[in-house]
Amino acid sequence: MSSKMNNYVRKNLPAGLSKWGFILLGVGLVMAVIAYNNNPLRASFASLIGFMFLLSIGLGSLFLVALEYLAGATWSVPFIRIAEILSTLVIIAPILAIPVLLNMHDMYEWTNKAVVDASHALTQKKAYLDINFFYIRFVSIISLLGLFYYIFTKNSLKQDITGDQKLTTFNVKLSALFMPVFAIGLSLLAIDFMMSLEPKWFSTIYGVYYFAGSFWVAIALITLFAVNFNEKGLLGTGINKDHYYSLGALMFAFTAFWTYIAFSQFMLIWYANLPEETFWFIPRMTGGWGVISIGLIVTHFVVPFFMLIQRPSKTNPSRLKLVATMVLAFHIYDLYWLIYPTYSRIQSVKQNDASLISSPFFGWIEISYIILALGILLTVFSFVGKGKNLIPIGDPKLKRAMDFHL
Amino acid sequence: MSTIDYSVEERLVHGDRSLKQIDDAIVNPLDAKPNIKYILALGLTVTMLMIGAASLGWTFYKGIGVWGNNNPVGWAFDIVNFVFWIGIGHAGTLISAILFLFRQRWRNGIARFAEAMTIFAVMTALIFPIIHTGRPWVAAVYLLPYPNQHSVWVNFISPLLWDVFAVSTYFTVSFIFWYIGLIPDFATMRDRTTSKIKKVIFSVLSLGWRFSNRHWQHYEMLYLILAGLSTPLVLSVHTVVSFDFAVSVIPGWHTTIFPPYFVAGAIFSGFAMVQNALIVIRKIFEIEDLIPLKTLETMNKIILVTGTMVGYAYGMEFFIAWYSGNQLETFTFINRAFGPYAWAYWIMVSCNVLSPQFFWFKKLRTSIPFMFVIAVFVNVGMWFERFVIIVTSLSRDYLPSSWAYYRPTMFDFGLLIGSFGLFFTLVLLFAKNLPAISIAEIKSVSEGAQPSHHGESNHSANGTHGDGHNG
Repeated sequence: MSSKMNNYVRKNLPAGLSKWGFILLGVGLVMAVIAYNNNPLRASFASLIGFMFLLSIGLGSLFLVALEYLAGATWSVPFIRIAEILSTLVIIAPILAIPVLLNMHDMYEWTNKAVVDASHALTQKKAYLDINFFYIRFVSIISLLGLFYYIFTKNSLKQDITGDQKLTTFNVKLSALFMPVFAIGLSLLAIDFMMSLEPKWFSTIYGVYYFAGSFWVAIALITLFAVNFNEKGLLGTGINKDHYYSLGALMFAFTAFWTYIAFSQFMLIWYANLPEETFWFIPRMTGGWGVISIGLIVTHFVVPFFMLIQRPSKTNPSRLKLVATMVLAFHIYDLYWLIYPTYSRIQSVKQNDASLISSPFFGWIEISYIILALGILLTVFSFVGKGKNLIPIGDPKLKRAMDFHL
Repeated sequence: MSTIDYSVEERLVHGDRSLKQIDDAIVNPLDAKPNIKYILALGLTVTMLMIGAASLGWTFYKGIGVWGNNNPVGWAFDIVNFVFWIGIGHAGTLISAILFLFRQRWRNGIARFAEAMTIFAVMTALIFPIIHTGRPWVAAVYLLPYPNQHSVWVNFISPLLWDVFAVSTYFTVSFIFWYIGLIPDFATMRDRTTSKIKKVIFSVLSLGWRFSNRHWQHYEMLYLILAGLSTPLVLSVHTVVSFDFAVSVIPGWHTTIFPPYFVAGAIFSGFAMVQNALIVIRKIFEIEDLIPLKTLETMNKIILVTGTMVGYAYGMEFFIAWYSGNQLETFTFINRAFGPYAWAYWIMVSCNVLSPQFFWFKKLRTSIPFMFVIAVFVNVGMWFERFVIIVTSLSRDYLPSSWAYYRPTMFDFGLLIGSFGLFFTLVLLFAKNLPAISIAEIKSVSEGAQPSHHGESNHSANGTHGDGHNG
């Protein structure tokens, strides 16, 4: 049965998107190369932030796509194409992992045989924290997720033309397969690239923590695009206040969810006070990092929580755009907080200055990789989104979705 | 089997009852004399309750030496049962409050019943900490902080005290939420009843409700606010329960994933319990069309999701126990899977992680006998999960010379049976005396109540798909 939406007129993406994408990409690339020549280790840490940031967006968007199929949700159909385009980042983000892979020996202690042999805890996990196994995991997870991305989007685009409902049924089944791969893949990527920066530290909630941030930032970015496109009339007959409300509510819910997860992790480690776990938090609670940690609570929780808590703010497009933009920045902040204390530790060992362990490093090197990541994000969006229908016009649920009311 | 048409919303209520007939279907059984099946069921649950009361009486007379608790295993059935019943309560709030916030209208038919189960489950759970105080008649004095002449205070840094706050707040809010939802139905019953005594009772309970527009406006606002309050509360309750274990330094208890993992597990077991009870209730009261198969199927999907989340947590715990390189953690988990309590561990894994996986198949998750059995397995598994966490970690702790195997006695089992007896007695009494389905809410999803789009021209094509009875 075909249930195509016939009154949709395809329009081009806003010109500013690709223009800004190219500018940021160009500037970022030049700065990143200079930064890398200047200080390869620090640049690799900065690149890790960029990688984890783009990966978050890709993973979160892909998760939303699969979730919509699995839950049979209708409200998110009008902007699911945006999520599909953004999930391309799952296969693009690894570009920024290249500097990390080139400098693993300096970034990750566990690659150093002498360090591993000297520590009981590290010898224990040698089988897992092994360079070859690390590569195998990385390549297989990304390619598996990439395969899911490819099939999901291919079917969705095909449905634009045929309107065949069987494609939805197929994607629903595929989503069921996707979920376990996603959960395990995301957790392992987070453990491998970020948790193992401090290889002696461990936390069972770490994967959930990264998931909470990833879905949060993906929703924010989808909101940003959806609101902007809707204002420019790119989303067919247009989405309404209740769609805005739902996006805002989901962003609000994940603000609270991240806080819950972050609090659980901190509180349990702080309360039990076991030295094998607290050493991860202690540098983050002293000196400059202590200030950054307080800032994380303010930015990642207090500000978005109170900016979204009222009902009118969830339906106010300019408020949504503002919060969504802030969420992007705050998520980078969170990744910085997760990753950079290790760089401080390495510096303090190198320069033989214990005070450096609680001093944050932030400068143009970090900024250049953030610019590069944003450039990649916008360029990928304008490149992949070019010539595509921005709403899935063949989706059988679209008609109900455009009429969505709470 | 035909292909699914995604362009049409499935009906939430089947059958073509008029609004009046909905009233009759829900309220008439309450006025009828209890039939033999009901009396037999009540007899069974009251017997179970009496077994519990006898075990408890004997415990008070002889002391807790009659339980199986031994030196390293100071916590066993008592706290296992407490955590189990608190967990059961979570599904009710999830259905009535969280799914309400998510606008999941399929919940309308089951929210009342699930919320009632929450309240009864919390009441059942509370028995255990109260008897734990040793002198239950002064439990309030022991558990609550208040200024006193001896300047003796409760221990504010103990998560067990946070439990007192979390559970009592949760119970209060859940109870108010449930009662607020009942007000319009009390009014319906007041208007229908012929008994003079009932008329007075329902008049008082309905707080002068007259179905006026203004009443509904206040009602809806309050309902939404209470749903918003219940949502963080329900998450906090099992989070705090998980803190009871996770803040300690016992291997196998102290792990950061406990809070979300406990919440997921609680919802998991709660849904299984609600599903079981609903299958029985819809059969007895012949309201299969008001709680259609679709609702049960959706519940099974949630059981599948949460069960798989719990499976993720088991896997992650095991992996990190090894990854941490911490000998104690590694030992605890190997001991769970292959030690003296391996039987309990594998019951837990197969019931909680494997059995719900059958719900991937539509045929199985829409078969009532099959889903009933799976949900029983889930509850067995979730009870064993708490048993495994608590008993295995304690029975082999830091000091191998004092390791001991815990064996429950008949009084432990008696209390467990008694807790089921109390819970189901309350459920049966509720189902016979108060409307188990919210009359007001079910009407809002029955045919004719939906906001109609038929005025718009582009919807005329869908009109014919409206009533899809599937046989």
